[in-house]
Amino acid sequence: MLSFIIRRLLIIIPMALLVVTLTWGLIRIAPGNFYSGEKKLPAAVEANIRKKYGLDLPWWQQYGMMMSNIVRGDFGDSVKYQGQSVNEIIKRHLPYSATIGLLGYLLALAIGLTAGTIAALKQNSAFDYGSMSLAMLGLSVPNFVLGPILVLIFGFWLYWFPPARWGGIESLVLPVCTLAAIYAAYIARLTRAGMLEVMRSDFIRTARAKGLSEKTVLFRHAIRGGLIPVISFTGPALAALLAGTVVVEKVFAIPGLGNIFIQSVLNRDEPLTLGIVAFLSILIMVFNLIVDISYGFLDPRIRYE
Amino acid sequence: MAARQFRRYQLLAFFLIVSSHFAGCSSSASSRYFGKTVAPKDNVLRYVSGSEPETLDPQLPDGQPEARIFMALYDGLVEYGPKDQQPIPAIAKSWEINPNLDEFIFHLRDNAKWSDGKPITANDFVYSMRRGFAPETISRTAVSLGGVIKYAEAFNAEKVFVKKGDKFLLESNLGEGGDSKTAPPFGPETEFHKSINSNRVTLDGDEKKRAKQLEADPKLKAAVGEAEFVPVKAEDIGVEAIDDYTLRIILRQSTPYFIGMLAHQYFRFVPRQAIEKYGKEWSRPEHIVTCGAFRLKEHRPYDRLVVEKDPNYWDAANVHLDHIEFYPLEENATIMNLYKAGSIDAFLNHTVLTSWIENVRAYKDEYMNFPEAATAYYSMNITKPPFDNPKVRRAFLLGLDREALSNFRKVTQPLYGKVPTGIFPAYDKAAAKVSEEMRGEKGIAPEAWSNRYKFNAEEGRKQLGEAGFSVQKNGDTFSCPGFPTDRASITYNTNENNKAIAEFVQAQWKQNLGVTVPLKTMEFKTYLPYFKSLQYEGFAQFLWSGDYMDPYTFLGLQYGEENEGGSGFHEPKYDKMLDDANRELDPEKRLEIMARAEEYLMEQLPMIPLTVNATNWMKKPYVKGMYPNPGTLIPWKFVYIERDPTKWDKDVANIMTTADPQFEKQLADLTITQKTAAK
Repeated sequence: MLSFIIRRLLIIIPMALLVVTLTWGLIRIAPGNFYSGEKKLPAAVEANIRKKYGLDLPWWQQYGMMMSNIVRGDFGDSVKYQGQSVNEIIKRHLPYSATIGLLGYLLALAIGLTAGTIAALKQNSAFDYGSMSLAMLGLSVPNFVLGPILVLIFGFWLYWFPPARWGGIESLVLPVCTLAAIYAAYIARLTRAGMLEVMRSDFIRTARAKGLSEKTVLFRHAIRGGLIPVISFTGPALAALLAGTVVVEKVFAIPGLGNIFIQSVLNRDEPLTLGIVAFLSILIMVFNLIVDISYGFLDPRIRYE
Repeated sequence: MAARQFRRYQLLAFFLIVSSHFAGCSSSASSRYFGKTVAPKDNVLRYVSGSEPETLDPQLPDGQPEARIFMALYDGLVEYGPKDQQPIPAIAKSWEINPNLDEFIFHLRDNAKWSDGKPITANDFVYSMRRGFAPETISRTAVSLGGVIKYAEAFNAEKVFVKKGDKFLLESNLGEGGDSKTAPPFGPETEFHKSINSNRVTLDGDEKKRAKQLEADPKLKAAVGEAEFVPVKAEDIGVEAIDDYTLRIILRQSTPYFIGMLAHQYFRFVPRQAIEKYGKEWSRPEHIVTCGAFRLKEHRPYDRLVVEKDPNYWDAANVHLDHIEFYPLEENATIMNLYKAGSIDAFLNHTVLTSWIENVRAYKDEYMNFPEAATAYYSMNITKPPFDNPKVRRAFLLGLDREALSNFRKVTQPLYGKVPTGIFPAYDKAAAKVSEEMRGEKGIAPEAWSNRYKFNAEEGRKQLGEAGFSVQKNGDTFSCPGFPTDRASITYNTNENNKAIAEFVQAQWKQNLGVTVPLKTMEFKTYLPYFKSLQYEGFAQFLWSGDYMDPYTFLGLQYGEENEGGSGFHEPKYDKMLDDANRELDPEKRLEIMARAEEYLMEQLPMIPLTVNATNWMKKPYVKGMYPNPGTLIPWKFVYIERDPTKWDKDVANIMTTADPQFEKQLADLTITQKTAAK
């Protein structure tokens, strides 16, 4: 087990560097640069900019410098927001995304697990059909549609919550609900499918034959196996949610990391893009590792070599 | 069970009825105003300023979102006038201009202070300029705006003077005109002024490039001979503190619109004490020192930037707002939502969504629909066939009904020339006069003349035929099988509005000329180099907002070999006309020469003018002293919150002419120093 974890942790580093390298290559292929604007720059000014940011060096030298900085954990300064380091920008904007991400995740889990489990236990009941249709709807309505609909109802008809911007608990309600909807729907469907499969398996029949109460069967035996597909979905989903969701952040004007990430690409802000990509890739790989470890606790049949 | 379900449906139905009832109520209860309209209790303005500012160093960025924030944080020698953007006194209480329009003396107030309490003197402006033009500052705006200041461009480009013995090589030594001035002295004579009065030759600082430059010009090479090369230094540029409160700026050529440019963010005062102490980190919230009516209180990037009234400001008694909260938002729908919910009081230009305009226009006390010093064109790549043929260019111009385009866009006026109409009244007058003269010279009937650039599908088809691409009539439609549509496209950067325009224009040309020009769209930063390096074929969208309130900001786009116009157009004749105009000291005559240049440009037709934009923004009626000027650049110290609803702004279509006693008095008191000095 320990050697498995160490092995996986060691793989994360070269993987993250590979991701950064590929991203760097893609940014370099993209036309345009951070300093171009609508106005033409005088040649002398452009030359000075290129010199300052090392863009006049051969590409392999630039790549080497970038890599050696990143290995030391220093992503340098943003080239768009002058005087701000990439690390401080990520640190500053992550909490916004993480707050709505975590709340949305917990809400989605609460709704999805409950609805999915009840639907599986009462298969083919009105609740099953009702909740699964709602889940289908949740999956099909994209969040850029759901968000404005919620704003219309709760922002302008009922005046319950502000339509956008960060500030106070009431401003969190609409973005969190928008964010949670699609994940709740996924989780509900995965839970239902997983539970249905487990409930029919041999070890559940054995448990029942032992004379265990239905409650014990469900909570001690069924749920652990039934949740495996949910866990493999929600692990990476949590990473993605924490790191920011562009659409919800745009619709509700939340200064989160997702918003910053997209802007950095549009601005050709190479250090910032690379920093966020590296951060995200490590985050996702760590969550995947956690998911893999948790399998062992949930299903005694899984062993790590 | 059934009964319970029924109750649930009843509940849902009730919920829907209640919610729609609320919606009805909310719109009818305050139907005069758009959404929630309650004046705030405090003197606070909540304003959406556009994208997140790059930095709070005013000398670096060139965007308007930054400009709006800098207008709160920094003062310049002059400020944009609230209604017309013409310069009004700021740190300079008055100024004088020499008859050649190339030397300016500013009299600074002696009570201006930085936010840290230090007095602001003429030396601070000298420092600001030396720092702004320094190559290591890497200002993107320095040369494009201030390049007209003597030796500023040479200093920025790290050029060298040529020194022979103890004398500098002068342009007069080369016998190319530009000799030392014999103009009467202007202001007190100083050593600096004496030395800068001669026009020194400047050469490239790089040895190889300089060798090339000399090789290409044997006369210059001979004159240079075995000379010493001295780098142009910060101290050489034409900005001089005569004393603590008297400043002189010397230009390399007469520039009648120079004072107007000085309100630009680049020319605002920057604090030497903070820059020298903290380097590039000086503009961070913990170190920043400002000189505007407001100082920085809080900056949470991508969320808010809050400024508060600065008690050290020289005119603090006339600053009405205690705080301004700037919100850096870009999503138009989100901005409109916030406005409707009453969470913001006003927002930047071009923000009302096209689909909302019909609805929003009805709110006459809030919607700002005024012409803007901003234009939309389609540049044509005249270096590639078939658009190297003027007849083809003319055909596409005539084949487009720009009046219909304006009606379709709802917030624009059709544009038939290079300079937007309705923004520069004196220029419009001069242009009308020149146009009439030219009509007389050519002996064309008045109607035909005034319609010469307007929609005329038949003439367009004729021109296309004469260019070798005959248009065939098939029943009600036209076709032009010979036109190489694979050599043309309408290219624009991805954006809903740009797409709507392109599709409209495409349909027009198909209908009127029988040519279906393909559309091509790309992301903004990809588009810029594609457009500027003339990789496109046919048409490329080009939007331009004026940098200062003079028609030259538009006409200059096609000036010089490396111009901004993106058409591959360069005509020495056109350049000369503009040079002549700027050398002309009589303002009326100058505008007439410029109008002739515009006529010439329209004959050459490197671009198809499309529309003059409208300001297209909103403010709550209780926000007063805020006017829809041509660049949506608001001098914040005039803005105030009016809590008495009877005094709220009404029918803002007349806002420019409706008298507001408080505002008028403040403006009159402020401008009196310059009026008494100038005349």
